[in-house]
Amino acid sequence: MRRPGLVWLVLPALFYGALLFALPLALLLIGSARGPQGWTLAAYSRFFAGSYAWGVVARTLRLAALTTLLSLALGYPAGFALARLRGRLQSLAVAALLLPLSLSVIVKAFGWTVLLRRDGVVNLGLQAAGLTGAPVRLLFTETGLLIGIVNIFLPFMMLPIYASVRQIDRLLPEAAATLGGGPLHCFLRVVLPLTLPGVGAGCTLVFSLAIAAYVIPTLLMGDAYQTLPTTIATAFLYLQDPQRGAVAGTVLLALSLLVVGMSAHFAARGAA
Amino acid sequence: MTASTTRRHLLTSAAASAALLGCPAILRAEGGDLVVGGAAGMAGYMKQFVFPVIEQKLGIRVVFDGTRSLVNLEKMRADRAAPRMSVVLMDDPVMQIAWDEGLLAKLSPQMVPNLGRIRPAAVHFDGAWANYQLPWAGIAYNTKALPQGVASYAALWQPAAKGKVIVPSLQNTEGLWTLIAASHLETGKPFQDAQYDAAAGFKKLAALKPNVLTVYTNQPQAENLLESGEASLMSGQFSSYTLIRTAAGAPVGLSAPQEGTFAMPSGICKVKDGPNGAAADAFIDAFLGPAIQSILVEKSFVLPTNPAATLPPGFAAPADPFAPDWAFVNRNRAAWIQQWNQIMG
Repeated sequence: MRRPGLVWLVLPALFYGALLFALPLALLLIGSARGPQGWTLAAYSRFFAGSYAWGVVARTLRLAALTTLLSLALGYPAGFALARLRGRLQSLAVAALLLPLSLSVIVKAFGWTVLLRRDGVVNLGLQAAGLTGAPVRLLFTETGLLIGIVNIFLPFMMLPIYASVRQIDRLLPEAAATLGGGPLHCFLRVVLPLTLPGVGAGCTLVFSLAIAAYVIPTLLMGDAYQTLPTTIATAFLYLQDPQRGAVAGTVLLALSLLVVGMSAHFAARGAA
Repeated sequence: MTASTTRRHLLTSAAASAALLGCPAILRAEGGDLVVGGAAGMAGYMKQFVFPVIEQKLGIRVVFDGTRSLVNLEKMRADRAAPRMSVVLMDDPVMQIAWDEGLLAKLSPQMVPNLGRIRPAAVHFDGAWANYQLPWAGIAYNTKALPQGVASYAALWQPAAKGKVIVPSLQNTEGLWTLIAASHLETGKPFQDAQYDAAAGFKKLAALKPNVLTVYTNQPQAENLLESGEASLMSGQFSSYTLIRTAAGAPVGLSAPQEGTFAMPSGICKVKDGPNGAAADAFIDAFLGPAIQSILVEKSFVLPTNPAATLPPGFAAPADPFAPDWAFVNRNRAAWIQQWNQIMG
């Protein structure tokens, strides 16, 4: 039975979202396509003229894709392990995963600039393990950036996977095994499809965070590593060219929506 | 039962984490505090040596907001209706923009008596802003890696410096020095003429790329990398940033290359309609007075603008640092930043 009185409860959130999310977004879109002579896509033409902007877009997508893939590769088994823990051990593990989120991303990124130095812990560890004979340059390299950014965003991949694994009825894999399915078959045909919603949610979260990352690439790669978020900041702060910033913001938004939409679609198909 | 206990544990953990997330340490300036904007690179010596003296003298608390001059400018624009900062320390070229946009309150000798006692050339537009110090810029280096220092800007391009050079972004004013030095090396023209040949500078900068460890917009982070030995050379560094670290025992030095050094007077201004106007005037007056300028000369290795300031024994600064045509810089800077990003990106 409908309870119309409760509909009003959602109004504050709707108002908040409309005022602080939808309206600025609309202004951004309008700003990117509005010139002195009216509606125009001239700013987009200028932005994509030459190879520089395409390189920035490709670099942004590459960073987001690699971050998502590496987070998935690390986060999927870790999410499983977390779900299989019991009692206090699981509470401790979840707390250990969540607590770093309370730390500012700036502090974490600065921390990685120390850890990734030639005399930093990472290099000392690599040498102690015999993997390298001498310090290797990690800071201001894409490898160093990926190490840092995956560490920071990994909880956002692990938590949805952990939640989806917890939902799986433990009898299902057993039933599949009873019917003659091998471990790999059980995993691929029973367990994996059931965790795909968690994988989809994790990939969506990590991709969205990575494609919009500003602080981490700036601190771990410096100003020479230009992505769409740094392009937006430069356009508004230094070039005093809000239309260029609006175009870069719209391109970033479109790419995010496209990839997130595709991810959700495939996750839904896989789970069906 | 096990599941419900686990859920409770999970919820407890989540609630504890959410509480931590929801309580960031947001520091807000109180009503009597004077919010002063300035460069992040000066935060250390200002907070250690300068602000405590002024706070004690004036009975105020200084809240320093350290970032880049262009970011401070953007904050002044955004807060124009209700400024948060009362005083801003910025480079002259950015001061010029702020003045043109009506963001500054004019200083008067009645409220700032030391305005009439500093060198006349240090007062701009009849009191729009004033220079309180004259730092010079050269090449900073790690003394363990390069005990002999740096003789020429050409050292930045040497094969031995591969992956060991840090350069400031053109978004930072000190980024200009590398561009002008590059133009000089490419064309052989003196700085005075080379500054107008940015194309030659960018051509030379493209050849620097293999040697560049990073391009910074955050000076303290870059300084840290130089001191740790991750980098050997950092171009375009001010005496007020580097030599104070040398004096503190850090393994860094500042060379005045044979081609010349650069000068960038540091300015102080009062924000139009900013809070605590009287305290802002008193703060600016202190910065233009001999007592604070003597501290700055001694602690940050700059030239004073007040002739009454005392120079410490043995004080040495390069003769005649080059000051560029700021009007030309301001007209071209946006295009240069885009070109810089394309070359370095």
